[in-house]
Formats: sequence, C-alpha cells, structure tokens
Amino acid sequence: MPVELDKKDLAKYPFLKEAQHLVSASGYSIDSLINKKHFIVKKGAERVEKAIKFDYFFDDIRLEMAEWEILSYAFARILISCLNERNLTDRLCRYEAERASYFLQTEDPEKKDYVTSIVGINPGIEEIPVVEYVGLCPALHDSKWRLINRDINSGLVRIEKNEYDELIKEKIRSMLDDQLPLRVGEGICSLLSSLTEGISSGYQEMLMEQFGEVDEGSFPPCMKAIINAVTDGTNIPHTARFSLTAFMHIIGMDVHQIVGIYTRAPDFDVEKTMYQVEHISGRGGTEYTPPACATMKTYGLCVNRDSYCKKISHPLSYYKIKKKMMKGDEAPVPSTKKDIPDKVDEKNP
Amino acid sequence: MDAATFEYMKKRFEEYYMTATFMMPPAVEQREWGFIFFDPSGEVRMKRHIGFSSKNEVETYMRSMVPRHAYHSTAYYKLPSASTMPEKVWLGADLIFDLDADHIMRGAYDVMLERVKEETYKLLDMLTGELGFIDRDVSIVFSGGRGYHIHVRNLETRQWGSTERRELVDYVCGIGIDPEFMLGKGRDSGWSARYRSAVSEYFDELMKTDRESAVKAVGSIRGVGDPSAGSFVDSLKETSRKVKSTKKDVPVTGTLKKVLEQDGGPLIDKIRERAALTDEPVTTDIKRLIRMPGSLHGGSGFRVVPLTVRDLDNFDPLVDAVVFGESPVRIDLAFSLTMPVLGNKYSLEKGINNVPEALAVFLCARGAARYAGSVR
Ligand code: SF4
Repeated sequence: MPVELDKKDLAKYPFLKEAQHLVSASGYSIDSLINKKHFIVKKGAERVEKAIKFDYFFDDIRLEMAEWEILSYAFARILISCLNERNLTDRLCRYEAERASYFLQTEDPEKKDYVTSIVGINPGIEEIPVVEYVGLCPALHDSKWRLINRDINSGLVRIEKNEYDELIKEKIRSMLDDQLPLRVGEGICSLLSSLTEGISSGYQEMLMEQFGEVDEGSFPPCMKAIINAVTDGTNIPHTARFSLTAFMHIIGMDVHQIVGIYTRAPDFDVEKTMYQVEHISGRGGTEYTPPACATMKTYGLCVNRDSYCKKISHPLSYYKIKKKMMKGDEAPVPSTKKDIPDKVDEKNP
Repeated sequence: MDAATFEYMKKRFEEYYMTATFMMPPAVEQREWGFIFFDPSGEVRMKRHIGFSSKNEVETYMRSMVPRHAYHSTAYYKLPSASTMPEKVWLGADLIFDLDADHIMRGAYDVMLERVKEETYKLLDMLTGELGFIDRDVSIVFSGGRGYHIHVRNLETRQWGSTERRELVDYVCGIGIDPEFMLGKGRDSGWSARYRSAVSEYFDELMKTDRESAVKAVGSIRGVGDPSAGSFVDSLKETSRKVKSTKKDVPVTGTLKKVLEQDGGPLIDKIRERAALTDEPVTTDIKRLIRMPGSLHGGSGFRVVPLTVRDLDNFDPLVDAVVFGESPVRIDLAFSLTMPVLGNKYSLEKGINNVPEALAVFLCARGAARYAGSVR
C-alpha cells in the first residue's frame, strides 16, 4: 500500500519522482520559465547561494508553495550543473540532504519509511551488507562509522536505531551527488549566465572573507562548551572534537588558528592534533561540515541552549546570526513572533 | 648479470613459455599490460601501456617476446593502451591485497614464506568469514616472490575508489581502532574479540611482572602520572575482568583511555599480531599493475601460481612454484647458503657447485650465482 504524499510533502522532498510529476502536471516548462526570466529561476539561484554559505535555516520554508519549492530545487540543480564546479556541487548536495533530513526528523513514520526506501535504505533494517555499507560510509567522518569499529557478523554491519537519520542523510547526499552535474544544453546555460556569474563571484567573495573575522563571542553555546572542556583538559569524545574542528574550519579559521584552540588543553599533542585538524578540514579531499543541531543533540553536545538557538537548526547559522546582531545595532535577541515559529520548540525540546 | 648467465636465463624462460598455461584476468581487452625484458645492458625498464584484444594475443606475445617480468593492470580501462591515465578512461578495478613477507619479517626464505602463509589465512578468514565475500570471488595467487596476492572480483567492489578500499584495508590491518567501540556492550565478534584478547594478554603480562615494574611501565605512557599508574595497576585485575566480559560497556576514560590509546608499545604489537598485515598502498591504488598469474617471476624464476583456498594448505612454493627440473647445472655461487628445493635441502659452499636446474635458475635470478656451464 503506497503512502499518500501531499503537495507539502513533495516540497520537502523535491528529489522524489512524484515531485517532478507534480511540476510537469502543473504545466510549467523549464525553458519557458528561463526565457521569461521568471522569478522562480532566481529562487533557484538563492537556493544555491544558501547552500554555498552553509545557510542551513529551514524554518521559514513555505511548503504550501510546493511547485515553487520544487522548481527552485530544479533550477538550483540546473545552475549548479552550468557552473560545474566540484566544491559548489558538493555544497548543494549537502544543503539538500540537510534540508530533507530536517523535515524527516519530524516526519510521519510511514512517509519517512517511504523516503528512506526510495533513497535505497531498507527502513527498519538492522543490518547492512558490508559491501553496501562501505559504499556509504567514507563520507561519514566519525570514527564510529569506520568499518573497523562496526559490529560485524558474517558480512552484515549492525546499524543502531539512532544512526539511521545520519545514514539516510548521507544516502540522500550521495544520491544527489551521483546525479550531478545534469546535462544542460549550452543554450540554457548561456541564458542563465548572469545568475551563474553572480553565484561564482559571490562564492569568490565569500572565500575571501569567509565568515569575516573570527568572533569567538558569537560561537554557539555547544561549541563554547566544547572549548571549555578542552581548556579544562577534560577528555572530549571524538564527536565533540570533530564538531568543533569542522565548525571552526567552516567559519574560516585556518589550521593554525584551530590548533591554537586545542593548545589550551594541558596535555596537548601537537602532531596528533595537526593530523586530525588537517584531516577534518579537508586535506584528504573531503571537506567536512559540522553536524546540525539535531545531530549535536543525539551526540549529547547540544548544551546551554540560549534564545538564539530557537531561531536556528544549525550551529553555523547560530554563529552567523549572532555575529551579525552583535555587529549591527546590538539588537541582541530576536523577538518578533514571526521570527520564532512555535513549532521550533516542539522540534527542539 | 653477465652475458652467459643472461643467455642461460632467457633460454630457460623461453623454454617454459613455449608450453606454459596462463591464467588470464577477466576482460583481457580492458587491461593494460606491462613487461620488463631481459635487457643486456642490465637496465630495468618497463614497457607499459600495452593493450591486447584477446587471450591468444597475450600468449603469442609472451612466447615471442619472453619477458623477464609480466604484469597486467588491476584496473579495467576503456582504452588500456592510451599513454596517459585520463585517456585510458578508468572503468573499475579488482580489489587486491598484497601479502609480502618483506613487510612482515626478515629471515630465511622458507621461514618467511611460512609466516606470510599464516597472514594469508588470517586475511582470507576476515574476507570470507567476517566481511562476507564469497569464495568464488576470491582468488589467491602465489606472487613468485615472497608472498601472495589476493584478487577479489565482484561487480560492487569494482567501482570502488581509493577511499572505499581504504575502509577494507584498514579493517584487515587493524588501523583506526577506537577502544570505546571495541569494548562496547554485547560486542564479541570480529575485531572486538581480537581487541579484547589483545588487551587481556597485555594486562596479563603486566600482572605477571612485579608491581614496581608494572607501575613504571604504565607510568611511562604519555599523559599517565605515577600516582594514577599505581592505582591503575592495583585495579588491573578488575579492569581485565571487565575487558573480557561483554555484559556492559567498558567506559574508556582516564588512565585506561591513555593506556589503550598509547602510541606504539606492547598493545599495538599484540593488535598487529591479530591483524592481516597486507601492503596497504597496493589495495588503495586503483591503477596498479600486478603480476600475471602463470608467468615467471624474473627475480626468482618461480611461477606465479594461481591457487584455490584448498590448494593453499599444501602449497609449498619451493616445490609447487618450481617449473624447472633436476638436470645438473654448474654455477659459481657468491656466498655459502642452505636452501631447500623440490624436497631436498642443499647446503652449498661459495664458488663452483653442481646443482639441479631449478636451483640454478633461482640463484641466478636472485643474482646470487653466475652460470658456469652445463654439466656433461
Ligand atoms: S541548538 Fe544548536 S547551536 Fe544551540 S547549542 Fe544546541 S547544537 Fe548548538
């Protein structure tokens, strides 16, 4: 018995075939939208920009505008295919995976199972064959995902219940990554060139300034807590070390600055730290991003939440928002009802 | 190698290749081939980027060119004879493990070969027993030198890049172990079992020594002070019991964590003993050339022998990889040595000796002897 997906569901998971059907059934044509310079094409560009900036803020997505959400997904993919740059493609796939995963957290179990099976994971299964697992795990950073640390019995890798969400997210990411770049004709790409140029120059600028000067005061409470633990010489778990390192890397700190934080530990081991930091910050080819709040929570790392936390679902967004506020008119806490939708509290108890 | 030895060797290889049977890799036409020839100048140069369209072509080439070493790619290419990698277009690669005694120990040839066989068994157990590869996809090849090559061929692993292969090689080599997971509740198979036994053995040894030296040993571990070493040693019996039991998670914190995560030291050795020590880069490199089964290894004159798991039990390279016979040959040996070949042990003095051809080829190939004429 197939599950019934409504329009809003398709807006959450625009990679589903049903989503594409919905759009084509509504009579939208990609070519004519581009020709007409329809605003939705620009929405696609905005989606790419958010992905590039790791702007993982999904609370204000308007699911009732399902066709637009799905079309902006489609245009984001077309734009990224025209740009055809590994880093950018990678970021879009991460963004889309984070986005879908955000909705899956609170999804109705039947629908969640459906999406899970579509991306190729058997829902509810407790074991995955080794060969399949190895195809999935290299992009997952933590030592718990390494094959050697897994519980394996006669060719099957045990998966714990609480690991599923991460696995599904990774599967979505790799699935989208396999699909890109799409084959987009040169004609279309040239029609989109002003948008793609805008994206690339924005990206260049961002590389230049990254997140601007590092402002430790604007770090989210979780990261501050890890730094405090490091400073106290507490043995922090791998997950914490990873999250902090990836966080500092993405906000633009270089290896030396990051290692600098770790030197606050009393028994600091330079070589080992350098190695880990370089690994996490992408020397091995994959650039890692810090986990979203939901994952931080399952790691037990989401501590001392404050009012900013209600606005965001990713530590990176926390940093960006707070930094902007601190720099701007010192409006410390966002307070309008609109900014803090009630459902956030249900989701992030 | 002098001219006479050189000629002698080449003749023997030629003779062998006239009737040899080869084990061709699947998809011959998608492989790159590489050869090193008997070069009178003594120079070692590989001719590679060669492609063949059929098994027959390969055989004809081997018989007419008589290479000293013959290799084919582990990879499958669209255009294997193209001279650059991007032009070749990589389509996939077999999964290879290389067990070479040189990486594991030094010693007499026959001792090394025995030892590397043990590693091979460990590897095969992990691959087929734990990781679920099926016997049919796994082939074993005696390398003709000091070890074995394991070729794993199936559709899923064929597409794997280096990172995926790294997961497997780390697994078999015991790299990246996180004690917290090894000592988790209910974990008692595969690496967890090996890890628990390694740690127990290490702790048992510590408990066997007197308290003072145990404290000293633990205290010398980075980050462990003498007082904590003392209390660690005093509660070692209890800790050891916990490590052996799988009923509860063992909290890996404090001194225990430092002890288990120490760089180097006796525990690492015990883990390595339980790992299958393959040569890592061979597995992670997806564009390697590997010796062609059925060819001769130019540095030993031994045949590169394809084997089944069952063959491996009784396989004695010094008998079963020897393709030459017992007709006597005169050689000039550079140093004295003792060496078993074809079931006989030969103790040879430096200088002129009459030895069976099988041994003569081996010693000449290794550069330990010169050909000094046939015996009439
Ligand atoms: S809500 Fe997010 S940003 Fe805030 S403390 Fe938790 S994990 Fe960190």
